[in-house]
Amino acid sequence: MLKIAIVGCGKIADSHASLIQSLKGCEIVGVCDREPLMARQLYERFPVKHYFSDVSELLSEARPDVVHITTPPASHFELAKMCLQRGCHVYVEKPFTLDAEQAHTLVALATERQLKLTAGHDDQFSHVARRMREVVRSGYLGGPPVHMESYFCYELDQAYARALFGDRQHWVRGLPGKLLHNVISHGIARIAEFLTSDSPEVIAYGFVSPLLRGVGETEIIDELRVILCEEGRTTAYFTFSSQMRPSMHQFRIYGSKNGLLLDQDHEILLRLRGASFKSYLDKFVPPVLFARQHLANLAANVKAFLAMDFHAKAGMRYLIESFYRSITDGGPVPIPYREILLTATIMDRIFAQIGSKRSESPETSLANRLTVRW
Amino acid sequence: MSTAAVERDSLIAHEDDLLLVTGASGFIGSRLVACLLDRGFRNVRCFARPNSEMTALGRLRGSESVHVVTGNLLSRNDCDVAMKGVKVIFHLATARDGKSYSDAFMNSVVTTRNLLDASLEHQCLRRFVNVSSLAVYTNKANPRGRLLDEHCPVERRPQSRGDAYCFAKVKQDELVIEYGGKFGIPYVIVRPGYVLGPDKAGISSRVGIDTFGVFLHLGGSNTIPFTYVDNCADAIALAGLTKGTDGEVFNVVDDDLPSSRSFLCMYKRNARKFKSVYLPHALSYGLCYLWEKYSEWSDGQLPPTFNRPHWHAYWKKTRYSNEKLKTRVGWQPKVSMREALARCFRSYCENEAHA
Repeated sequence: MLKIAIVGCGKIADSHASLIQSLKGCEIVGVCDREPLMARQLYERFPVKHYFSDVSELLSEARPDVVHITTPPASHFELAKMCLQRGCHVYVEKPFTLDAEQAHTLVALATERQLKLTAGHDDQFSHVARRMREVVRSGYLGGPPVHMESYFCYELDQAYARALFGDRQHWVRGLPGKLLHNVISHGIARIAEFLTSDSPEVIAYGFVSPLLRGVGETEIIDELRVILCEEGRTTAYFTFSSQMRPSMHQFRIYGSKNGLLLDQDHEILLRLRGASFKSYLDKFVPPVLFARQHLANLAANVKAFLAMDFHAKAGMRYLIESFYRSITDGGPVPIPYREILLTATIMDRIFAQIGSKRSESPETSLANRLTVRW
Repeated sequence: MSTAAVERDSLIAHEDDLLLVTGASGFIGSRLVACLLDRGFRNVRCFARPNSEMTALGRLRGSESVHVVTGNLLSRNDCDVAMKGVKVIFHLATARDGKSYSDAFMNSVVTTRNLLDASLEHQCLRRFVNVSSLAVYTNKANPRGRLLDEHCPVERRPQSRGDAYCFAKVKQDELVIEYGGKFGIPYVIVRPGYVLGPDKAGISSRVGIDTFGVFLHLGGSNTIPFTYVDNCADAIALAGLTKGTDGEVFNVVDDDLPSSRSFLCMYKRNARKFKSVYLPHALSYGLCYLWEKYSEWSDGQLPPTFNRPHWHAYWKKTRYSNEKLKTRVGWQPKVSMREALARCFRSYCENEAHA
């Protein structure tokens, strides 16, 4: 029986506790939050053995095998380090750490101690993401990716913007990338999975949307456009927007032969044929083929629902199960460390650029960004 | 002795005593502040988040009797500052997010604990007025059509309701009662029904829901426990200030409550026309049962939003009473239900025209 602990009893901890309790072969031996009331409420709602307000006490008394860290990002590094030093495998919610240096330290520590580590990039394991991975592995793209596009949007209405950004003490403000730091890792990780270089070029441009400026916000960037390029071969665009509609979460990957479109919101995967049909057939056949693909997606989604495997957090469930299996069976971790580190590196570079150029006017800033090279 | 003097004599606070209202910029909070000023109180401290929309407080902010303090109730220091010298606190601030249990709990229970601890520090509080909700009652054991009053039991396992707001409010009430017993903090708990008022366009889920694209009318002939915002504010003020009510619970509903069906007819006639489908009680109960079972069976593939405890609390035929409020603190709804509904519908139409 794998003994699990959760540190941090906020909103996302509910998803972790709910999924862990539904898995066979594990039990939640303790939950911890520095606010005892928060720890107690999680303890009362889920089958949890004990609750704590001190991590050290949790580690000594509950003696977990795996610790899930679901606290705000600023504390991820120190908590993960402490848990690794005390011999626990660690699942760290996204964003993994505040910067790539911290990420490298944790990976090195886990490797040295022969412990397992993973990041909460659970979108990578949704049904549709897994289907896409299989198609890519089958060679459908016709070689390495030529280009990728990742859209990761976030609905930020005025009421929410007021609530979150009016608070000058909010922990989001303390992150190097502020709001972006807390939300973009899913979208960046999608690109990182298919990059081969450890140091791609990054050109980033970010600005505060008119909506946020309208509520007096000047620091928190909620619109971001990024170009990535590695070794003159693969390029990628990343878009984060709080304002564009539909507020989509999409990934497109194009090879030399074919492409793929992944729509996370609707769990749709479309194959984009590279070849064309002759003459007018190119106007009539592809719509039929797309219709057929949409029906196949519908069937796959209904099938997963009927099999009771279509939960809102199906990706997280798969990631947790795979992570636990890597611990019990000694197999590879579900997310290669290289991918976690590359995601952190790309984020560092984005934040360095938008942070250092924030004081410039938008026009100058964009022009400068297009000449920046890492 | 004048009537006003007699009334003042029956209260636990004098006109110059410091009163604190949390959530003062909110829908009920702003009316409560106005109500306290109308009753002659001259020292009202209004606590609001720094980013709160202050328009609800409106002209009251200009009054010499009103002092706005901004802060975060999750900060012990902010609570300490807010509670300094306070004789009576009206605690209305609550969680906004009804979906996340943790967020609802943090913004209702942890904040309440911080205020209670701050009151212990200052040792001058005469009463902690905790504004809760009718949603906390279980209503499960009550036979259909029976009276729901202050004696009815509260939900024992609020997490089973699939309603984060209910969970947080039950826990908040428990905490206040615990502090009352352990530390002797005098308290009163006020539990309003669905608060109606201008600028609140939505329809109570006790009437029905539009989750599935069409409005499902679930209330039928049920009485809906409405209270008009001004009447509610008045009830909170009186329950909180009247002598001899320590440790008491007061439910707040108005007189002449309409049935769900008649409310829906009036709403469609006076505010907005839309199609609705009536689900008889037996059918809605059956569907809630099936949803609950499927949610359990599928490990939450469908969230446990609809279930039998929820049905008992919201859609079971029930009567409500405001007798205790009337007899113990002399409350009477100043705005009739007829006038309250007319004001709401008028406001809705004006807002629609403006939009």
